[in-house]
Amino acid sequence: MRIESLQNSEKLNLCRKYFLAGFALLPFMWAVNAVWFFKEAFIVPTYAEQKKIRTYVIISALGALLWLGGIITWILVFQKYRSEWGVLGDNLSFIIPKGIA
Amino acid sequence: MADLVINSRSHVEPNSNRAEPYVVGQEEGQDSSTNAERPRGTSENDGIPREEYEEEDEELELKYGAQHVIKLFIPVSLCMVVVVATVSSIAFYTETDVYLIYTPFPEESSRWQDRVKDAVYNALILLSVVIALTVVLIILYKQRCYLIIKVWLGLSSLLLLTFFTFLYLTEVLRRYNLGLDWISLALILWNFGVVGMVCIHWKGPLRLHQMYLIFIAALMSLIFIKYLPEYTLWVVLAVISIWDLVAVLCPKGPLRILVETAQERNEPIFPALIYSSNIMYSVLSDTDGDTRSPSNPEAQGVDISNSTQENLSNPQNTQNSTETPPVEGEPTNGPVAKPNQKSKPKKRRRETAEENGYVGEEGGFNRDWERESEERSRRRRQQVRNHMDTNPSHTVPGAANQEHNQSDIEEEEILVGKASSYGDWNTTFACFIAILIGLCLTLIMLAIFKKALPALPISIAFGLFFYFTTSFLVVPFTEELTIGQVYI
Repeated sequence: MRIESLQNSEKLNLCRKYFLAGFALLPFMWAVNAVWFFKEAFIVPTYAEQKKIRTYVIISALGALLWLGGIITWILVFQKYRSEWGVLGDNLSFIIPKGIA
Repeated sequence: MADLVINSRSHVEPNSNRAEPYVVGQEEGQDSSTNAERPRGTSENDGIPREEYEEEDEELELKYGAQHVIKLFIPVSLCMVVVVATVSSIAFYTETDVYLIYTPFPEESSRWQDRVKDAVYNALILLSVVIALTVVLIILYKQRCYLIIKVWLGLSSLLLLTFFTFLYLTEVLRRYNLGLDWISLALILWNFGVVGMVCIHWKGPLRLHQMYLIFIAALMSLIFIKYLPEYTLWVVLAVISIWDLVAVLCPKGPLRILVETAQERNEPIFPALIYSSNIMYSVLSDTDGDTRSPSNPEAQGVDISNSTQENLSNPQNTQNSTETPPVEGEPTNGPVAKPNQKSKPKKRRRETAEENGYVGEEGGFNRDWERESEERSRRRRQQVRNHMDTNPSHTVPGAANQEHNQSDIEEEEILVGKASSYGDWNTTFACFIAILIGLCLTLIMLAIFKKALPALPISIAFGLFFYFTTSFLVVPFTEELTIGQVYI
């Protein structure tokens, strides 16, 4: 579906829903929202609802980046210290790679 | 399909834009494949002077249709790449150790006659399951049990997006010996699944939607490759494409019935029924059609003058239509998969019994099959309906193009994937090219017969033919040549 075909109020509504949904541990939703509405928020000539869309897009993008950073750190930490954590590390593991300490 | 493609890329590609203006004229006349997609708008076109365009129309139709088909190449190829890459790198998908309940004959006999017999039985069982599901779907639709259909579709796509994705991820990680913790796994699956459901069944970026559809198609074909015994797979491919032919071309074919019912009710085809790949396409096509239909003169003018801007123009004109159609299309992804009651219990048993994702296999297959068949039928229906809507008198020619939906793609992928599972790149490429050729041929047939055609049979027939000829003739031949150091 293309957002260009929506009316401005609908765009805002859609953007808002995506934004709100992102709070349910859905950073991917935020990322999609940010990318999807980026053009609407910053490039298209201004219209009434654009300001709000812009806020949503910015917050979504920040949230998604924050999440991304968090996940990457967590994975790095986990990979590094898994073996040191012993049982806890094994319990947390979905797949334990073979042949690696 | 073409519609989808076209719409999405119309901005970028000037050619497609060109085609569109013609399309307007074409739609009214007998539509080639191209027409089908745009047919909705067509009815409105009546006022337009067709005569001027008529001669050009045929050429244009061909060109236009060709573009659609060529644009189809991309999703099809992407799918095949995914499948081939997976099959050739992950052994899990090439070992068939567990069978679906639908294929009770294990093909373990050493005599090839017995194996062929088993394969035929298996295929017939699968076919009857598909037919039964299609009938159930039609009955539900006739009875206006929309909720049930929606839930059904939703469940099936949910299953694919979570459970089978989980299986896939597991195998990939295992293959590359990567560690992963439960927390990130849960986060990944949750995000992927929810966004997928939203994109497919509600609203989402077109690109993402297409990617999800491609992924789902690839996943399904992988499942089939894994769980169907060797010969059965080939027979099933053939049987299903024949069934496709029947369902689309038969006057009392199930797809036709669905479309006609939808027309009678004067309602858009049930979104869920629409095939997912079609969804995209249908959405686009719907948009086009809507645009043209509501404001014919304007829309036409727009199309003709600014073919490039079609997308832009559509949104404005089409807004209403656009919104609705996507909804319809989106739900489609899940559509085919009809969770059988039978399959569920079995699945569960297996799940409990087997730790791995293997458990879901049976259900997955059934659903997949069902989905495919349903999807196809839905697609066709949609297409047909769309076409019909626009051009009531014409059978929808474009349907064939549009019909090339996920299920078709899946089957083709299955074919290529299976070919690649034997580890012979010659054969793999031969099949790949054969399928693309089949697509093109379908297009030509559309232009010749000007009638709705199922896209699947030709491609599949070509694919099968090429597969067997390359693997039994060309490959031994080239091997001999290599051994003998003969160069041609």
